[in-house]
Amino acid sequence: MNTLRIAQECFLSLNANKLRSFLMMAGTIVGIAALTVIMAVGKGTEKKVMKRVNAFGTHAIMVTAGGGKGFSPPQEGITTLRLEDAEAIKNEISGIEVEAPFAVKMGMPVKAGSNQVQTIVMAVAPEWHDAFDWYPSDGDPVTEEDMATMSRVCLLGTLAAKDLFGQQNAIGEYVQIGNVRFRVKGILQTRGVSPMGDDFDSRIVIPLSTGLRRLFNQDYISNIRVKVKDPAQISSIADEIRRLLHERHHITPPAEDDFAIFSAADVAKVARGISGILTLLLGALAGLSLLVGGIVLMNILLISVGERIKEIGLRRALGATRRDIFAQFLMESILITTSGMVLGSIFGWIITVGLARVTKMTPVITWEPFALALGFALLVGVFFGVQPARRAARLEPVEALK
Amino acid sequence: MNMIELENIDKTYVTASVETRVLKRISFSVQKGEFLSIMGTSGTGKSTLMHILGCLDKPTDGHYRLDGTDMVSLNDDALSHLRNNKIGFVFQQFYLLDRATVLRNVMLPLIYTKEYPEDAKEQAEKLLAAVGLTERATYRPNQLSGGQQQRVAIARALINNPALVLADEPTGNLDSKSGADVLAVFQKLNREGRTIILVTHDRNVAEHANRIILLKDGMVAEDRVISSPLDADAESRAEAEKEMSK
Repeated sequence: MNTLRIAQECFLSLNANKLRSFLMMAGTIVGIAALTVIMAVGKGTEKKVMKRVNAFGTHAIMVTAGGGKGFSPPQEGITTLRLEDAEAIKNEISGIEVEAPFAVKMGMPVKAGSNQVQTIVMAVAPEWHDAFDWYPSDGDPVTEEDMATMSRVCLLGTLAAKDLFGQQNAIGEYVQIGNVRFRVKGILQTRGVSPMGDDFDSRIVIPLSTGLRRLFNQDYISNIRVKVKDPAQISSIADEIRRLLHERHHITPPAEDDFAIFSAADVAKVARGISGILTLLLGALAGLSLLVGGIVLMNILLISVGERIKEIGLRRALGATRRDIFAQFLMESILITTSGMVLGSIFGWIITVGLARVTKMTPVITWEPFALALGFALLVGVFFGVQPARRAARLEPVEALK
Repeated sequence: MNMIELENIDKTYVTASVETRVLKRISFSVQKGEFLSIMGTSGTGKSTLMHILGCLDKPTDGHYRLDGTDMVSLNDDALSHLRNNKIGFVFQQFYLLDRATVLRNVMLPLIYTKEYPEDAKEQAEKLLAAVGLTERATYRPNQLSGGQQQRVAIARALINNPALVLADEPTGNLDSKSGADVLAVFQKLNREGRTIILVTHDRNVAEHANRIILLKDGMVAEDRVISSPLDADAESRAEAEKEMSK
């Protein structure tokens, strides 16, 4: 096969016209660089999104008292969400695996001996463990009996336990939350960062009845956590819950809701933030660069065919077939775009690393953008190289040698 | 043995509505080992004839057999292969690639051969030695004189050991000393048994061959044997002496 020999000729030719070769490459370089950055940023964002969604729970719906946005706990004094609402949701909507109403208080003072912290205290029903997939790693969970007796027991997040008791075993010890003494009956599994951005592990959990009656002194709740059986049904179940709460709270849209509903999809949307727009802009840049670069490439190649008519004639006289000439010019085009791809990938990689340094984005570099870039480079090279190559191959040797 | 047989070759160009009959019923044959000059003033069809002989163009009518192959019936690919391994071209403008070394230029036709010879480089070096350019192998063509460039082109024409060497006004761009040197190379090749056809308008150049075919108005006007061709070696020496005495 003489393909390799022809490829060598391409290399010589491109090497002899470095400036022209670079100009032909420019579009591909920019396009591929942009593509590499998009993919890296996109990957990084998806990773972040998945982490947030997993932290929230892929099967989860959260009903929060008060309008508001985000998954933050309700503001103080919002009394609209009640246990009866949770009861109604459980009874009237199908497809729910488990439901857990709970009440949250931010910044509760907690003391153990001389150690004191301010943290989030959650008063939860026994189902809460299942609804959050969050169980004690040590000791016992919140039980029906705790609920019935309004027992003064609590479970500590690992961080809370460490802050209050250090390395000491906390189970069986006492902490003072507000003015009430609680016995530590369990330590919760380590869970990490919450969708709100704070640390789950600094939280403290108590029975719901105890919380409402003995500690918070209230008859309303702040959240209802719902875990569905089939994640595909999340949005329809969320809609049903919304409708039911409208009915129960006598709200007719467009009147404002006194509750908010979030699902994994909403969490993903919030976590993606502006990265979608960024991806779109960079995508447009990449596409445009490749297109314009391809057109420039094609035109310079066409000019080059014109300039090299004598060379083409000579090669034909020396025995090159039309196919050989076609192959030479097409390979020049492909060589240009693949070289551009290599430079563009390096360039994009450098930008990505720089971006990771100066922004909060955490781009992830994988092999996929390089494979995709190679695909694009070949595509552009072939697409925009065919026309000049065909023109070169069509030249009659006698005409070319005139 | 006839290396070339031309039989009633006609070539007619049609442009717009005008038909131009450039070659009219040309017939002749060339023996293996001949050195033939095709002579004629411009417009007599000698370039067209040379293109047909070189399988770069096809006649409108007639038969052309080269080394036993009827080229008129061949397709473009087959003609390309034929050019590659049976014909060596030498052009007036040399047509060397300035981006490649002299050695690489000589090896250029090997890109298109079916089997790439293992000793390609040695062959090319041997041919460069034969045209007296061993020391110039790594130069670029634009660093050489015209005469040297044309000798590189001759080495290139020979790399595939062709049956026929076709030279189109090979001395047209050269001074008389370089021209004589190039013609001396052709005469040497012919003495070694190579078949050569040289196309020229210049009688002094043509008479270095053993036979001259004179074209007039697209027809063979004269076909004669030169019993005592001019000696290019002697001319080259004479030119060199002239240079010295200046």
